Amino acid sequence: MTDLSQSQTAQGAAASEQPTAAGSLRRKRRIGEVIIQSFLFLCGFLSIFITMGIVYELGKESLLFFGSRQWENSNKPITQRIEVDTTQFAVSTSGFTLDIEDLIRVDEELMLITGLDETLVTVERGFDGSEAVAHNAGAVIEIATEATLREFFTTTQWNPQIGQFGIWALATSTLLTSAIAVVVALPLGLATAVYLSEYASQKARNTLKPILEILAGVPTVVYGYFALTFMTPLLRSIFGKDVVAIYNTASAGIVIGILILPLVSSMSEDALSAVPRSLREAAYGLGATRLETAVKVVVPAAFSGIVAAFIVAVSRAIGETMIVAIAAGAGPAFTFNPFQSAETMTGHIVRISGGDLSYDSLDYNSIFAIGLMLFFMTLALNIFSQRIVRRFREVYE
Amino acid sequence: MQRKLYALLALLIVMSMVLAACGGSTATDAPADTGTDSGDTSTDSGDTGDDAMDDPMAMYDPATVTGDVVTAGSSTVFPLSERMAELFRQAGYAGNITVDSIGSGAGYERFCVEGESDIANTSRPIRDTEVESCQSIGRNPIEFRVGTDALAVVVSSENDFVTDVSMEELALIFGEAETWSDVRSEWPDEPIQRFIPGTDSGTFDYFVEEVFDENEEPILAASNTQLSEDDNVLVQGILGSPYAIGFYGYAYYAENEGALNILSIEGVEPIRENVDNNSYPLARPLFIYSDATILVEKPQVASFIWFYLTNVNDEVVDVGYFPASDADLLAARNAFLAAVGR
Amino acid sequence: MSTATQHTSREQFSSNLERRHRVGRIWFLLFQASMVVGIVALTVLLLNIANSSFGYVAFHYGNPPEEFVGEGVDIEAAPKEDLIAILQDNISPGLFARFESERSFSSRSQANVYDLVLDYVLVPEIDAQWSLLQSLNQRDEIQAQVGAEFPDSIVEFQSWVDYDFIRSPQSSFVEIAGVRTAIFGSLWTIGIAILFAFPIGVGAAIYLEEYAGDSLINRVIRTNINNLAGVPSIIYGILGLAIFVRALEPFTSGSVFGIGDPTTSNGRTILSAGLTLGLLVLPLIIINAQEAIRAVPSSLRQASYGIGATRWQTTWNHVLPVAMPGIMTGTILAISRAIGETAPLVVIGASTFIQVDPDGPFSKFTTLPIQIFQWTARPQNVFRNLAAAASLTLLGLLLSLNASAILMRNRFRRRL
Repeated sequence: MTDLSQSQTAQGAAASEQPTAAGSLRRKRRIGEVIIQSFLFLCGFLSIFITMGIVYELGKESLLFFGSRQWENSNKPITQRIEVDTTQFAVSTSGFTLDIEDLIRVDEELMLITGLDETLVTVERGFDGSEAVAHNAGAVIEIATEATLREFFTTTQWNPQIGQFGIWALATSTLLTSAIAVVVALPLGLATAVYLSEYASQKARNTLKPILEILAGVPTVVYGYFALTFMTPLLRSIFGKDVVAIYNTASAGIVIGILILPLVSSMSEDALSAVPRSLREAAYGLGATRLETAVKVVVPAAFSGIVAAFIVAVSRAIGETMIVAIAAGAGPAFTFNPFQSAETMTGHIVRISGGDLSYDSLDYNSIFAIGLMLFFMTLALNIFSQRIVRRFREVYE
Repeated sequence: MQRKLYALLALLIVMSMVLAACGGSTATDAPADTGTDSGDTSTDSGDTGDDAMDDPMAMYDPATVTGDVVTAGSSTVFPLSERMAELFRQAGYAGNITVDSIGSGAGYERFCVEGESDIANTSRPIRDTEVESCQSIGRNPIEFRVGTDALAVVVSSENDFVTDVSMEELALIFGEAETWSDVRSEWPDEPIQRFIPGTDSGTFDYFVEEVFDENEEPILAASNTQLSEDDNVLVQGILGSPYAIGFYGYAYYAENEGALNILSIEGVEPIRENVDNNSYPLARPLFIYSDATILVEKPQVASFIWFYLTNVNDEVVDVGYFPASDADLLAARNAFLAAVGR
Repeated sequence: MSTATQHTSREQFSSNLERRHRVGRIWFLLFQASMVVGIVALTVLLLNIANSSFGYVAFHYGNPPEEFVGEGVDIEAAPKEDLIAILQDNISPGLFARFESERSFSSRSQANVYDLVLDYVLVPEIDAQWSLLQSLNQRDEIQAQVGAEFPDSIVEFQSWVDYDFIRSPQSSFVEIAGVRTAIFGSLWTIGIAILFAFPIGVGAAIYLEEYAGDSLINRVIRTNINNLAGVPSIIYGILGLAIFVRALEPFTSGSVFGIGDPTTSNGRTILSAGLTLGLLVLPLIIINAQEAIRAVPSSLRQASYGIGATRWQTTWNHVLPVAMPGIMTGTILAISRAIGETAPLVVIGASTFIQVDPDGPFSKFTTLPIQIFQWTARPQNVFRNLAAAASLTLLGLLLSLNASAILMRNRFRRRL
């Protein structure tokens, strides 16, 4: 702008310090612009660093979870002395149940169970390079728990204390609560946004929008107790006490839906009201009603912004912790019944990280593996929705 | 428009300055606080019972020690440590004492692995592996028993058939039995609804240890079992049905006494005398842990622990727990004296 | 909508028009109903909180006033000197000296000294408490019940959230507990989080919308930011622990600046917590700012370029002002999110009990949600009232923090 005006005055040839007209029009190298652009790029690139940090931290700790073997006292002493070459011996009936292919440890020696007959155990001695030695009666059998990737993804029971590591028990309930929340929040939020943007007066919008946004700031603990002491009894009185368990994913999901409602409504409303007025006027000019203008013109034009709102809201629903921890119960269960209790991934992470378990137990380390899994779940969701946006995005002038 | 953006930036700066100012006013308080130390040497506070304090303990007078005390650990021990920390400050301690409620596991981690805290509050004894990691950073954990948390086994007050159970029956109720009649034939043929604390909690761990001989399988495999992290939430669950049963910390029962019935175990009622004389079988110890080097190097930590051990019995009931037995407390005090070399 | 062709008869058109308007009205009602559902949900939640924040309490004095001023004398009206004497005789000298140093007794008002006497000498102890609904509906029953169960108790209507509650530090005694340290902690952490995340977030959004092409790296950054919005907050806590508490410890503990006691200071400070919350809300700010910038019509930019403005001049003078309302929405949502977080702060090392106010970014701290959470987890029901009162305080704080952003959003907003 300044260049232009300067070159105009240059033609007037009045002042002495003017540059020549030709020089001023040549493209100048602007150091300031370059610095600003690099700074902005760094801002954007920071997100990559954050992601790498998260993946690195979680990955490092997850290795501890998948790689390590943990010994637990089975409370099952041997009932007779075992010599160096004995491969079959009796154990007491108390304590843990042993299974074929279980790895056990007596004193320092590892053994692999190959056969089982009531209390009589057949083993492969000196397993994994350990030395086969004699053991006295009464020696304690320790049983190995080990989490493998295969077990993690293919089984459906999650009880690290007794060696069950099937992530689906936790993952399905995360999907369930998020799905319920989305079913509640998306239609309500979008309808609210359309109302605020297309129907409400300027004044009404300026008051109603911040009021709804309060919902996003209510502490989630309060929501949790709201779900437990208000929503659950409500559901139980509608569907019957026998159908709805006291802790259930449905009430947690509905209340998460209320929590994310302002995310959907506020962000969508912004997108809707950013649609140029000319589009609306054109629609009205063709004789469209208000609804038709809103639904057929404005909403498609704001589609990218609305999807962004959905993504943020869904992501928040997946990551929500306190509500599910209080209202959905703390027992991992593989179920698709929304009226049953089932612990979610986030609920498990927060419970274990605040609990009394030792920090070097498998259970404690599992929270990192769960976190990583959660990370990849949201990643998949995002890549998928990004595709959709790309496909349906409409650009107006 | 540009002006408005500047206005925004100005607003953010003003906000930060307001924050700084808030902090600033308190910063001026802090030196004044420490200045009071020299003023008084005796702490004859009415409510803290300093009678037990001998003369050699004068160096552990709360009003003369300086520096911060950092404690972290179990959420069960938290209310007790919080109360003691507050009274410690009321007795004249002018430094900053913090109690973080992060769970026993993380409490041991901060004490034994990261070496950040001076005291670990825990609701379970330290494990061997934890002692090892403590030793590898040069700390030798010393255990101080500070109280007892009785586990209450409760049913709804609508339940009129159970009043007393044996340990074997408890194992059946929370394990293999499907219906109440599976446990005792005269009880109704209704499914048992179980409400238990989360598997990560010291309460669960202790119950499994005492009732199931450390074998978690039966209790985790039992049907109709609802787990919750929060004992208040468990209370809500048990209130819902006459066939429900659950267990959790005694304080949560005491608060809902009217609506819940507590069961005697092996004929022993969970009342103070029975917990004191160890006849009630489900009484869980509460501890704090520290290390001799810390006690010597940081007199304020020693002062706090001594204050804790001499005054805890006046407060423990009010907070909702049972006192540790006199013998245990005496042992804790002796351990303290040995650690500081007296 | 443009189906009305020449062949459509007039009648068809008008009946069609009627139907279209009918449908329009029905949907209008549905839209309105959604709005109402949202408002109702909020009202029920607020009522839920208010229900526990106000109500009758029955209490008695741990040490009855008669012990100090004699029968029939109103201790509340006693002269200041008498109250100071009572205080001096009944609390520890250390505590008395601390009160003196906080504010000298000569400059304290009679009411203020009475408050101290009340809290530390008379020590009211609460016997029972009732919710707001109970208090309004069953006044007589409450009076009768107290008369029967606690004959020595006084019944009073109490607002759990009051000036004392906001002004006092935390306490394990319900009667004198407050949220002062928590309010300071929350303000500090939110302030740092927004100061950190706002410029970087808006900068990243400008880069992505105004400068970046459709290269692979930029696509990765875009997807990545959306993904970060969904990472559960506790994972940010784990990340913050590794980066700010551990790796940057000399910086976040203040030891490079020579602040803090070297024997006890570590990276678990307000600064670490604020930066962690900053990372947490960064994606939220970026996404909102991106959408807002994207919605600015390109004709504005072209006009600006047309008169010779540089890219940055165009962005700063024309794009950003128009995008401001959307950016502010992001900031409002970010503050709301950050102010209610508990889990990441527990990992970072927020204290649950701390009575000393934070005096800078390198202090130990606590925040309101942590207090709310620990109070709801207590066995004694009376702590639930404190939790509700703290929730109200949090909402008040949130609204006042958001107020400027809301005002700004309303000012900048206009239809193009």
